[in-house]
Amino acid sequence: MKILIIEDEKQLLDSMVTFLKESGMTCDTAMSLAGAIEKIDASDYDCIVLDIGLPDGSGLKIINEMQTKENQTSIVIVSARNSLDDRLTGLNFGADDYVTKPFYMPELVARIKSVVRRRSPQESNEIVFNELRVVPDEMLMYVSDKMISLTKKEHELMLYLISNQNKVLTKESIAEHLWGDHADIADSFDFIYSHIKNLRKKITDNGGKDYLKSIYGVGYKFVAE
Amino acid sequence: MKLLNITNRYYIIIALVLLLISSAFLAYRVVYVIDNEVSEHMLFEKLEIEKQLALQKGLQDIHFIIGDRLEVEPVDKFTSFRVAIKDTVIFDLYEKNNVPYRILSYQQLIRGKAYNIKIARRLTENNQLVNGIFTTLLLVAIDIIICFYFLNRWFSSRVWNPFYRALNILKNFDLQKGGIAHFQKSKVEEFNTLNAELTKLTDKVARDYRNLREFTENMSHETQTPLAIIRSKLELLLQKANDEEQVKQILSTLDSVNRLSKMNKGLILLTRIDNDQYAGQQMLPLGKILRDHLEDLDLFILSHELKVHTEIDDTVHISMNPHLAGILFTNLLSNAIKYNIQNGVLSIVLNKHGITIANSGGPLVIPGQEVFERFRKGDSPDSIGLGLAIVKKIIVHCGFSIHYEYINHLHSFEIKFENAEIPHEELEG
Repeated sequence: MKILIIEDEKQLLDSMVTFLKESGMTCDTAMSLAGAIEKIDASDYDCIVLDIGLPDGSGLKIINEMQTKENQTSIVIVSARNSLDDRLTGLNFGADDYVTKPFYMPELVARIKSVVRRRSPQESNEIVFNELRVVPDEMLMYVSDKMISLTKKEHELMLYLISNQNKVLTKESIAEHLWGDHADIADSFDFIYSHIKNLRKKITDNGGKDYLKSIYGVGYKFVAE
Repeated sequence: MKLLNITNRYYIIIALVLLLISSAFLAYRVVYVIDNEVSEHMLFEKLEIEKQLALQKGLQDIHFIIGDRLEVEPVDKFTSFRVAIKDTVIFDLYEKNNVPYRILSYQQLIRGKAYNIKIARRLTENNQLVNGIFTTLLLVAIDIIICFYFLNRWFSSRVWNPFYRALNILKNFDLQKGGIAHFQKSKVEEFNTLNAELTKLTDKVARDYRNLREFTENMSHETQTPLAIIRSKLELLLQKANDEEQVKQILSTLDSVNRLSKMNKGLILLTRIDNDQYAGQQMLPLGKILRDHLEDLDLFILSHELKVHTEIDDTVHISMNPHLAGILFTNLLSNAIKYNIQNGVLSIVLNKHGITIANSGGPLVIPGQEVFERFRKGDSPDSIGLGLAIVKKIIVHCGFSIHYEYINHLHSFEIKFENAEIPHEELEG
């Protein structure tokens, strides 16, 4: 998966590149509007991670640029402004998703994978990992071709975990992914625990391997090795 | 009490006292002058009588009653030249009443014979005189006071008009609406000075407010990127960390970053509402929105084993910004669940007048009226302390009112939809 990250903050750009590369993505970078347009003209990307506030203009211009090219590139906006207007403008302009700084890296990865998946042809839509197959648009999972229904939250959690294989996912980032603004409610960590337990049981009971590892005090990890 | 009434009250009291004193003095003087006049006149009469009696021939025991009474009474012996004047009352046959008389008596020798002579003159009744004076003056006083009152009102309202205008401008002064106060010029120097000072003051307040808002906004926005960097670096470190102690340190740092980031987001939201950046309104089906939120929170409600009581009127549509409505219900419902007790009650009532959300729980450690203040979070150290401040801000922004109460172990938040006069409500609250 080839990603172009457009971000003018060097430090943040470095972190994103490191994390995305560790997640198995290929990354190009640009720190300005001009540099970004150059990169876009030179090659095709599966996804562009776009900071709107660039030194030489609004990142929204990139979205315009991409639409004229009519290719399959998804766009995820990263913005410091948690503003509905920016979000709506961005999405109306044709961006696929929107994350607000500061974001969790695994969240960004999950968003990128999700938007790229949405753009890709239907048959490859399912996420396959060994004996597991997760259907993104329905609350379903297959373990060795055996269909298992999931609850909404279990399904979201499964997608989040499988999108971030071999990554330590903190309970906070999972809570925010699952409940967004409600994540603060005191016992959300207990729910994550019980969801993980249920998922693990559903997989192993149907002959799957136990990929979900708890890391004491920290969170969880989808172990792919 | 109004300024006008205070001055009027003083004027009236002073006028009454002055009139009372002067009427007493006047009565005293009038009585005194009349009295003197009577005595003086009687002495002249005496001279006349002396002269006339001296011409009389057969002077017997005679009474004359023409105007003044005159009694001539022979006595054995002339004793003195003394003239005595004294006041007395005599029964009047016609009036059938005692009437006051002044009697002048003296002795006179007429052709070697001594006579006692009494002149009695009827006096005006002093009481009546005094009463007359008092009534007249009282009427005058009432006249004066009434005229004074209305004249004063008229003058005052003319003179104080610029003052009341300035007062009105201040009353309508609202920082949220730009904070512009424009005072009119007046003919009175003092008012012009007052207006100039008020203009300076309101300009400064508005400027400070703008600066503060800008500062909060910039501060919160500009902190987001460094926070994002810190968090990303910590996440990278976490992926690599093997040592348990290191992991612990990273997690606790991450936790602080999270708190800071949440606080920031809250402050940005508050500033954005202040800046009126949530203007787009729609007619929202509040019942549906509430149900959706409840569904989202289902798990938390189940785990607390809450008894949910809903009375939702699905016909209620309220015009407000959908994003703000979302935040409002998220905050109120999260609160009602977060601070609930095991097996507690969560009650949601929606009708066309308003929404009431109530939850069980122990009493607050902070006074009830402070729940909506920023960073007043009582004894919950995990909370950021902005949730209810945001709720209040949204409520005020939408022109609603919210009221908090704690009765029968229930924390109850009551939102009223009517477009209450917000500035007043805020002042009193």
